[in-house]
Amino acid sequence: MIQIRNLKKRFRNNTVLDGIDLDINEGDVVGIIGPSGTGKSTLLRCIDLLETPEEGEITIDGAVYSLAEHDRRQTLALRRQTGMVFQRFNLFERKTALENVMEGLVTVQKKPKEEARMLAEGELKRVGMYDWSEHYPKHLSGGQQQRVAIARALAMKPKLLLLDEPTSALDPELVGEVLETIRDIASQGFTMMLVSHEMNFVRKVANRVIFLDGGKIVEDGTPREVFDRPKSQRAKDFFAKMHLLKQPEYTI
Amino acid sequence: MMMQILSETNLFDFGLVGRQLPELLKYLPITLELALLSMLIGLAVGLLLAVIRMKRIPVLRQIAAFYISIIRGTPAIVQLYIAYFGIPMLLKYMNLHFGTDFDISAFPGFACAVFAMGFNESAYNAETIRAALSSVDRGQIEAASAVGMTYPQALRRIILPEAMTVALPGLGNSFIGLIKGTSLAFTCAVVEMTAQGKILGGRNYRYFEVYVSLAIIYWAVTIIVERILKFIEKRLELPEQIDKKAAAAEEPEKARTFTKEAKVRYDTNKKPEKAFSQ
Repeated sequence: MIQIRNLKKRFRNNTVLDGIDLDINEGDVVGIIGPSGTGKSTLLRCIDLLETPEEGEITIDGAVYSLAEHDRRQTLALRRQTGMVFQRFNLFERKTALENVMEGLVTVQKKPKEEARMLAEGELKRVGMYDWSEHYPKHLSGGQQQRVAIARALAMKPKLLLLDEPTSALDPELVGEVLETIRDIASQGFTMMLVSHEMNFVRKVANRVIFLDGGKIVEDGTPREVFDRPKSQRAKDFFAKMHLLKQPEYTI
Repeated sequence: MMMQILSETNLFDFGLVGRQLPELLKYLPITLELALLSMLIGLAVGLLLAVIRMKRIPVLRQIAAFYISIIRGTPAIVQLYIAYFGIPMLLKYMNLHFGTDFDISAFPGFACAVFAMGFNESAYNAETIRAALSSVDRGQIEAASAVGMTYPQALRRIILPEAMTVALPGLGNSFIGLIKGTSLAFTCAVVEMTAQGKILGGRNYRYFEVYVSLAIIYWAVTIIVERILKFIEKRLELPEQIDKKAAAAEEPEKARTFTKEAKVRYDTNKKPEKAFSQ
C-alpha cells in the first residue's frame, strides 16, 4: 500500500501540483494522463525526489517519508524504494547494457559482483535484451535502450516503478517493443505509475487511470470509467480533442 | 657556405650540442618528477575546486572563485618566489607561535616548487574539469540518483569516467605546459634540467649550444607525452561495433525462453484479478 498525501509543488508562481492525495494498492498499474503542463511528470519526479515539493509525504509499506523535508539519508532511503524510467532513457553512456543494470546492485545494494551479474542477466532476459549485454548504449536503438533502462530499474526490486513518458522520445516504429515490455512487467505484478500519451496503451495496461488537470486529480477510476464516461468537462474536452486528431484531415 | 663559416670560425659548436645531452639528461628525472607531482596536486585540487563550483556550495564557492582569480592573475614566477620565501616564514611563525620544531633551513626547495606549481596548475585545471563535468548529460546524473546512488558515488562511477574523455585533451595540454614550466623551478633553488644547462653554460660560455640542447630534449619529451596522450585517448574510446552476445549461440534455449514464455502470456492474456479493459 502506497499513500501520497497533500503533495504540493510550485515553480515560482506557477502551481504545478495542488495538493495531490493518492492511494495505490500493491500490484496496481496507475496510468496518469492529462493535458501537457499539468504536472504529470512533476508528480513522478517529486515522488523520486528529483524535484523537491513544498509540501507532501509518502507512505510506502508503513514507512512515512516527507517529500518536502528530507536529509540525505532519507532521500536515499526513499529512492531505494522506487525505480524510475525516463523519457530519454538516461543510460550510463560509458557502461555496457549489463553494467548499466549491475551498477545499482553493486554500488547501492553492495551485492557481490557475481551475484549482481546473475541478477542483471536475469533482468535483461526479462526485457529480451540478454543478447545485447555487452553493447554500449550508443550501439542500441532507442527502444532497446529503453528496455535496458527498464531492466535497470527493475533490478533494484522497487516497491514502486515510475515510468515517465517511456515512449515519447522513440521513433514510432520502436514504440511497440517498449510497450510490449511494459505490458509484460505490468502483468507480473509490479506496482507502477505510468505517465503516457499513448491513450490506447494506458487503457490496455492500466487498471486505474488518473486524469490530472491544473495540478489536481480530476478523474480517477478504471480505464473504462475514465475514458468512456468521464465526469468532468475538462476530461471530455481533452478526449474530444484527441479523437479529432485521429480523424482524417478532410473527407470527400 | 654557412656550414663552412660556422665550422671554421668556431662560432657555433655543433658537436657540443650533442655531447652535452647526457649531462643534461641526468637531470631529466627531476624535471619529470616536478611535473608529475605538480600535476597530481593540480588534478586533486582542481577537481575539488571544480566540484565546489559545479555544486554551488555556498561560501566555499566564493573562496574557490577568489583563489582561481588570484592564481590566474599572478605570474608563475612570482608564485614560486612567494612559496620559496613564504613557506619557511610560515614555518618559522609556527615554531614561534605554537612551539613546533620545524627545521626551516632543511625544508627542501623542491617541495616549495611542487607546491607553487601544483596550486598554479589547479586553478587552470579547475576550469577544464568544470567544463568537462558540466558536459555530462544531466539525465545520467538523475538516473544515478534514481537508482539510489549518492553524489560521490555518481561522481566516481558515472560522471568522472565520462568527463575524463572530455577533459583529457585540455589536461594533456596543460601537462605539456607544466613540463616546460618546471624550468622556472630554479627560483626555488632546484637544479633541474634548465638549471643544469645554465651551470654547464657558465663553465664554457657556450650558452647558445646548451639552450639548443635543452630545446631538443624538451621537444622530444613533449613528443613522447603527446604519443602517450594519444594512446590513452584511444583506450578511452568506446568500441565502434560489438558482435551480438556469443552466449546466444551457446545457449540458444536460454536466449529464447523469454520470447516463448512471453508469447504464451500474450496469447492467453487474461489476468482474472486485474481485468484489463480491452
